[in-house]
Amino acid sequence: MTEASPIVLIVDDEVQIRRFLRTGFELNGFVVHEAATGGEAIRTATLRPIDIAIVDLGLPDMDGSEVVERIRSWSNVPIIVLSVRANEANKVQLLEAGADDYVVKPFGMAELLARVRVALRRQSRAATGEPTVVVGPLTIDLAARAVLLNGQRLALTPKEYRLLQVLAQHAGNVVTHQHLLKEVWGSIHVHDTHYLRIFVRKLRQKIEPNPEMPRILMTELGVGYRLAQMPAEGEPAWATAEAGGSEAQAKPEA
Amino acid sequence: MQKTVLMASLRQQALHLLLTLGLVVAVTVVLYAAIITTGVTQGSAIYLIPVLIAAVRWGVVPALFAGICGVLASAYFFVAPTYTLIVTDPHEVFNLILFTFTAIIVGQLAAQLKEQLELARQREVDLSDLYSFSRRLAVAFDVSDIHSAIEDHLAAVLQRKVILFGPQREPSAAARRNGGGMPGAVLGAVENMASGHESGGGRAAAGGGRAAAGGGRAAADGPGGETVVGDGDDIWLVRAVSPSRREFGVIAVNLGHASPPSQGALRSRIDAVLADATATLERLGVAHAIGEARMRAQTEQLREALIGSVSHELRTPLASILGAATVLAAAPALKNEKSLKALVQGVHDETERLNRDIQNLLDASRISSGGVRPHLEWTDPTDILHSALRSCARRLADRAVAIDIPQDLPLVHVDAVLVQQALVQIIDNAAKYSQAGSRIAIAAAARDGRLSVSVRDEGAGLTEIDKATMFHRFERGERHAATTSGSGLGLWIANAFITANGGKLEAVSAGPGLGSTLTVELPATHSAVAQLESDADD
Repeated sequence: MTEASPIVLIVDDEVQIRRFLRTGFELNGFVVHEAATGGEAIRTATLRPIDIAIVDLGLPDMDGSEVVERIRSWSNVPIIVLSVRANEANKVQLLEAGADDYVVKPFGMAELLARVRVALRRQSRAATGEPTVVVGPLTIDLAARAVLLNGQRLALTPKEYRLLQVLAQHAGNVVTHQHLLKEVWGSIHVHDTHYLRIFVRKLRQKIEPNPEMPRILMTELGVGYRLAQMPAEGEPAWATAEAGGSEAQAKPEA
Repeated sequence: MQKTVLMASLRQQALHLLLTLGLVVAVTVVLYAAIITTGVTQGSAIYLIPVLIAAVRWGVVPALFAGICGVLASAYFFVAPTYTLIVTDPHEVFNLILFTFTAIIVGQLAAQLKEQLELARQREVDLSDLYSFSRRLAVAFDVSDIHSAIEDHLAAVLQRKVILFGPQREPSAAARRNGGGMPGAVLGAVENMASGHESGGGRAAAGGGRAAAGGGRAAADGPGGETVVGDGDDIWLVRAVSPSRREFGVIAVNLGHASPPSQGALRSRIDAVLADATATLERLGVAHAIGEARMRAQTEQLREALIGSVSHELRTPLASILGAATVLAAAPALKNEKSLKALVQGVHDETERLNRDIQNLLDASRISSGGVRPHLEWTDPTDILHSALRSCARRLADRAVAIDIPQDLPLVHVDAVLVQQALVQIIDNAAKYSQAGSRIAIAAAARDGRLSVSVRDEGAGLTEIDKATMFHRFERGERHAATTSGSGLGLWIANAFITANGGKLEAVSAGPGLGSTLTVELPATHSAVAQLESDADD
């Protein structure tokens, strides 16, 4: 499978961060554009074709969330935000504004690449209308509304299926509590997080090979949930991880 | 103006005298009727009744007047020869003189009693005002609370409309509510007064006040830079609450239509009250409290700014170093360079450690400034535990980790992120003080409406001294200070985060070298679960 190199736009005012990101991305077969300010970023995103944008939150001319909103107003390009710890509310706000995912500073290149690959894969899946999402032993066939664990069809209730469906549509990327609650229970229940907790627990009992140590339906505390990214076979070079760092690999044995 | 006030006071005096006269006439009529019907002869003592009434109700002058009228009336009507004022009987003359003395003394005594009674009542009112004033000061939370307490107190004592302007020249909340009650000239005078005080010139303030009065009548500059501003009907007195303490603010008092002499009386009363208030304020440390409140706000702002900028300034280079190290570690050029790769890994690990230390310092600073505000949400404790274990994966890699998490744990209403960070500190601590290959058991259980999570290690254990001091800031067990690195912040942060979520952290150990168990307890509930179980899935 041959594909053109994906083009990444790096938006950060720190020259050292841009430098390592450029090297890291180029080593992994990406074409890199850089922008030091929000204005420059928006200009570049308008003038040149890009496949994904990495946006730092603290820009000198405008807030990172404004950049996200401005780009999102006319483009579906995946956006990954570089955030700081201890500000979950801010992360949720950015995700609601249209960011696809976030990485907390300081971060390793492998972690960012993993997020980028997930977002790119999701984009190409949306473009080709590919109906199945595979997460390790779990297969979700969105067209047939069927969920298989190790080839065995699972019996899910309609709400459990809806929850898994929303997560599968964003497979690998985080989905906020509010988004899940709105999609599954309706907008009047966006604050009833306990609904979500109970159904996630029920769902894990069915879809996780070992529900005590979830590896498929992952928790992002204070933000939401994500279906773990586990790349399938036969993806192009830029889409396969060459280094450790994905969450599935960094867990202790029970 | 002076005349009208004098007239009013005279009219009132005349009314009292007239009423007294009426009383005497009424007594005379009753006595006359009694003499005609019953033949009583000795009646002059009954004239003490109007004397007493007048003394108690209207004071000493009407009482004396009642006495004189009484003497005249008995002499005229009841003492032979009747219907003349001439008294011939020496016995009667003696009686009348005795009556006069009695009337004068009784009248004076009664009037004094009345005065004392009123004074006592006034004192009681003043005292209860002062008491409620000091009570309000005691519970005052910020500067505006203190100001409105001062304002209400002065309004109660002076019985006049009073508006206090804070040091920033903002009118009190009450004044803003009342809206148009303040003429512009008064506001101008207040503005000038406050700015005049800033430049230290009372004169300038007074002059400005007069200019500001414009078309209205503006009058005397008092001592201490006070200004009187006339605006149509009302006269306002504007002065600093305390000439020496600017932070107490500027006060405007509506004097109404008062004439200059009664204005003078009011002003001396205001002076007295303000002197009193200032003394009370100073005694209660209000000046200090106001300054303190402002200082606290400023310190808080400074701290927030500092934390924000430290966080940014330290983390940005860290992010570059860590990121560059990960790019280098994966670089094709280093693929077969084992020792170089190890160096890069060293850079990576040390950067992560530095990042953790910075995070601990920021957390500590947030805790000591009271900046930990838990964002409570229904959370599955299993999620928190898994998240904590994921963060500690690297540290636990060479430990035998045993995990016992039941599947039916109740939901907890906590800030999941804070609890997770506390657990990370606890697990990190267990790993730090135990040997590679030793066992670390993490177990969760629910009982009696509490959720407990325990982390048991086979490590260094705790002495009694350790147990007593381990949750203190910068406290590190003496036995380990030389061998294990650390800041002594970890468990202190964990304890603070757990406490902020309504839980508690406890440590148990059989003794040094025998391992230790740290247990987190959090309030749990089944109600949310029960509610949902009955809520059908579809």
